[in-house]
Amino acid sequence: MMSPDTIDHTETEGDAAQATALDVPYVLIVWNDPVNLMSYVSYVFRSYFGYSKGKADQLMMQVHNEGRSIVATGSREKIEADVSAMHGFGLWATLKRADEA
Amino acid sequence: MARAFKHSPRGIVGQLEGAERDLLRNLFDDVVLMLEPDGEGDTAPETEDDGGDGAPEETGEAASGPDPLWALTGLSPEDFGGAGGEAEPVPTPSDPAVLRLLPDAFRDDPEASSAFRAMTERGLRQRKIAALRGATMALESAHIELDEPAAQRFAAALNDVRLVLAERLEIRSDADSERVHDVDNWADAESVDDYLALVYNFVSWVQESLMQALLDTLD
Repeated sequence: MMSPDTIDHTETEGDAAQATALDVPYVLIVWNDPVNLMSYVSYVFRSYFGYSKGKADQLMMQVHNEGRSIVATGSREKIEADVSAMHGFGLWATLKRADEA
Repeated sequence: MARAFKHSPRGIVGQLEGAERDLLRNLFDDVVLMLEPDGEGDTAPETEDDGGDGAPEETGEAASGPDPLWALTGLSPEDFGGAGGEAEPVPTPSDPAVLRLLPDAFRDDPEASSAFRAMTERGLRQRKIAALRGATMALESAHIELDEPAAQRFAAALNDVRLVLAERLEIRSDADSERVHDVDNWADAESVDDYLALVYNFVSWVQESLMQALLDTLD
C-alpha cells in the first residue's frame, strides 16, 4: 500500500542539516463542500491514496464535520501532483507548507 | 426508472432510459463547452477524413491536434524549453462554476495559485474534457458496461456536472443542499430552479449508485 508520508525521508538524508526550502514538507488539505457525496470522497481517498476503508472514512468524516482535513503529507512536488489529481476528481483541495498548516 | 449500477463479473453495469441518457449527454456536453479554452486553436473539430485531398486547410498544426506529450502528461512543451522557462500566466476563471471545476491550489496566496494554474490548468481541463467525452460515449446504449477506470472517469464526469449545477443553484451549505433535495416532484416544478434541482437530484442519484458499485470493487 502506498504511503504518501515522506516526512522521515528528509530526516534520514545526510544533508538534512542543510535542508533548503525544497525539503520542507507540504500537506494536502481537502475542504468540505455541500456537493461532493460522502461515498465519492471516501472512494477517492481509498482508490487514489490506497488508504484503508477505516482511514478513508475517518478522513472523510473529518472533512465533513470539521470543514477540512490534512489528507496527505510529502514533498512539494508530490503534493502538487496530488492536488492536481484531486482537482481532476472535483474535490476542493489546496496545498500548504506543513509548518504553516 | 433507471436501475442502479451494480458491480458484476463483467465490470460495473447499469441501465438508463433514453430520456435519461439524453439529459446526461446534454449536461456532459455543456460542461465540456465550459472547459474548452476560449479562442485557442486546440478546440478545432476532429477531422477524421475531411474530404481528403481537396481539403483547403490541411496545415500541419490543424492536422496534428494537441501535442502528444501534453495529451499524455498534461505538461506543455513550453514548460521545458523557452527563454526563462516561465509559463504563460493563466487568468483565474471569472465564472464561479468554472472556478469550482478549476479551483485555486493555494487558499490565501493568489500569486502561488496563479503559478500553479499556469503549470497545470491546461492539462486539468484536458483530463476533465476526456472524462466527460468518455462518459458521453458510454451512454450510447441503454445497457451501460464500464471497467473500473471508465467507471471512475464516469463518476468524475457526473461530479463535475453536479458542481456546475450546484453553483447555479447556489448550494453553499448543508441547509441549501437539503432545500434542493426536497424538490422531488417533476409535476410540481414551476421554475428554472425547480427544474435544475430535479436534474441535480437525478444526477446525484446516478452518482451515488455508481459509487456504491465502485466501493464494492474495493471490498
